[in-house]
Amino acid sequence: MWLSAGEAPEAPRSYASRIHNRRARSPYTCGMLSIEGVSKKFRGGNYGVRDVSLSIGGGVVGLLGPNGAGKTTLMQMIATITRPTAGTIRFQGIDVAREPDAIRRKLGYLPQDFGVYDNLTAVEFLSYFAALKGVHSRARVGEMLEMVNLHNVAKRPIGGFSGGMKQRLGIAQALINDPDLVIVDEPTAGLDPEERVRFRNVLADAGLGKLVILSTHIVSDVESVATHIAIMSGGSIVACATPEELMRGAAGSVWEMVVASERFDELRRTARVSSAVRKSEGVHVRIVSTEEPSGGASAAEPTLEDAFLYTMISKAASGEAAA
Amino acid sequence: MIERIGAIVRADFLIRFRRLSTVIVFLLLSGFAYVWVPDPKTGMTLMQINGARVLYNSAAIGMGTSMLATMFVGLFGFYVISNAIRRDIDSRCGYVIASTTVRTSEYVIGKFLGNVVFLTTFVGGFMLASMAMLLVRGEAPLEPLVFIKQYAIITPSTIVLVSVAAIVFESIPFLSGRFGDVAYFFLYCVSLAFVVNLMMHGGVGLARYFDFSGFGYLMEQTRRNFHTESMSIGMSSFDASKRVLVIDGFNLGGGAWATRLVSTVSSLPLLLLSRLFFHRFDPARLRAAGAKGKRGWMRNFNALARPFVRPLAALPVRGAALNDAKMTFAATPFAVFAFLGITIASVANPASVLVGFALAALFISDVASRDRRAGTTGLIYSAPRLRERFVTWKLRSATIAALLLLIAPLVHAAVAQRDRLLPLVVGVIFIAAAATSLGVISGNPKTFIVLFLTFWYVVVNDHGATKALDFAGFYSTPSLAVTLMYAAIAAAFVGAAEMVHRMRLSS
Repeated sequence: MWLSAGEAPEAPRSYASRIHNRRARSPYTCGMLSIEGVSKKFRGGNYGVRDVSLSIGGGVVGLLGPNGAGKTTLMQMIATITRPTAGTIRFQGIDVAREPDAIRRKLGYLPQDFGVYDNLTAVEFLSYFAALKGVHSRARVGEMLEMVNLHNVAKRPIGGFSGGMKQRLGIAQALINDPDLVIVDEPTAGLDPEERVRFRNVLADAGLGKLVILSTHIVSDVESVATHIAIMSGGSIVACATPEELMRGAAGSVWEMVVASERFDELRRTARVSSAVRKSEGVHVRIVSTEEPSGGASAAEPTLEDAFLYTMISKAASGEAAA
Repeated sequence: MIERIGAIVRADFLIRFRRLSTVIVFLLLSGFAYVWVPDPKTGMTLMQINGARVLYNSAAIGMGTSMLATMFVGLFGFYVISNAIRRDIDSRCGYVIASTTVRTSEYVIGKFLGNVVFLTTFVGGFMLASMAMLLVRGEAPLEPLVFIKQYAIITPSTIVLVSVAAIVFESIPFLSGRFGDVAYFFLYCVSLAFVVNLMMHGGVGLARYFDFSGFGYLMEQTRRNFHTESMSIGMSSFDASKRVLVIDGFNLGGGAWATRLVSTVSSLPLLLLSRLFFHRFDPARLRAAGAKGKRGWMRNFNALARPFVRPLAALPVRGAALNDAKMTFAATPFAVFAFLGITIASVANPASVLVGFALAALFISDVASRDRRAGTTGLIYSAPRLRERFVTWKLRSATIAALLLLIAPLVHAAVAQRDRLLPLVVGVIFIAAAATSLGVISGNPKTFIVLFLTFWYVVVNDHGATKALDFAGFYSTPSLAVTLMYAAIAAAFVGAAEMVHRMRLSS
């Protein structure tokens, strides 16, 4: 269950400032995973993550953000691969930096751009990680292969697998020790639509009763599976709420209109277009804007994509205001 | 703990032994036994002591081939196994390992033992092939235990040293790249010569505890038993008029067992360095290591040289090969210093061209494999005709880069010693062809670096005594036959690379 405090956004115009205030009050109460004032400063002085505070209870949490937002660094700190330079991360009350092995026993991790050892078979590969994670049951390897639907190719070299099969094998290794916390970083990058759907289903099934943190920059990857969403930008968390709350926050700031192709090109340059579909009568455009665009726009029900875009716009606006 | 280390060792073994390149090297190495144990009727022998050949019994062949095995492992084994950690970084499996309860020391020990098992298997294969040669060319019955004893006394120290060195070099940032590859070669050669020299001249008694190659021990035993230091191992001629020597192999008397045992374990403490420097796949440490490498002497050299390279990089050149050669200089600006050094040295002392060739070879070593390692092969293949002509394109690029680097000695030869110009040009084409071929086939520059450096080392130490080794006329003007031979070898290199490339394209 999501345990972060704070109310759902009410009025679109005040949303960005409320995000700022919520962070200032450090409102996220203690849950399964508690992150308090965590920063990661690299040697050059750049911050990968800056003063992030967050509390997550359970379910599938989508970590959304553009490339370079700090998602991977945050996940690597939770996964004990790198240490925060400030702040603390606790999982089930255990300080990750002080007792890394305690969390590692409960952790399943699938890194970004996960590769494999091409010359091993699927069963050898999984057995290897099972041994490293202290899983002694051979039956468990078979169970996992069955769960990700690779049992028919268990004895084939992984080098011949498709990208989707390799990712499913990746999630199998992440789940082989029956972890309480599963971290998957950009798992659908490079997969075709069919494999993406299949992977999402595997993840949704596997995540039952666990805390799953799934990072992506593709909104559609999380909208069907995530119970909660945290949005990152510039190394900070700019919003965290349920998808419904995020969409409610964007209400009144999403517009739909049909424009001619010539106007569409101009619109693309001047407004935040969240989607566009060309039809016989013109281009159906969705625009995210706090003000009603001219030219016969009508208010539309926000999607998660719109809400994400709205949050990013609000973040940029609050940044400009602060400057 | 043992189970986790065992899993790392097993996985490493399977990964390595299922690679085609490993199988080919394994078969080649075993095949070498046929060459190294010649039929004495041909006037050649595996081992001669003071001109007299040894009788081919289990002790002699075991002794001789175990010494050859230790040399192979010492020189080439490092390059074959020094990718254990890199593989986990590239595949990102290392991040998963870092997120488990596997301890850093367990990982380091697992990788080290993986190296030991792999090299031991290689040596075991070579030993079996040598035993087979005893059955074919032996002059006494096969005694497997006597045979194994020779290997057990000599090879473990080198296997352990090389396995440790590979892990240590991989763990220390500035030694984990091409610099480390070259540094290892010279470190190994120097340490081998240093220890053997100390032992032979009655120097520090402590040296025998660091006699990793076993050559010092071999020389000591030869001197004690035969009162001579004149001996050779490997295919060599002998004096047929001298009585055939019967040897009973290495003996462990007089505390020799202790020195061999200590030689085997004395490199193990170096593993602590690996434990100390190993980044445990922490991206911040990996990034810092990369940045440190770039900030270090290499970056300073590059920064100093960049203004000299900039005009070259801005030159509008036509043709893919010229552009690729230009990129080689633009990517490694400090080559300008190598160019200046070669130019000045060739004017001052024309004999220095030998060093110039070594620098040029290192400079072009990754021309053929850099695209594959950078993941840009797809981009290159999308350019018109480069997919089909990849090998010849890279050959031309490497040749141009090497010719540019060696322009001063070439001009000097054209002006002052015209008869040496052709051998020099053929020499350049030979190294370019070898670098291209081995780069294309193996997908990395290491294979060429180690093979070429070994060959170069032999040429340097031969001082022109063997005319056929003088591939570019360093010591005297070679005969046309030698020049043509190297031209033919270059063509064979290119042909092999072309064949492998086409096979890959068709599959």
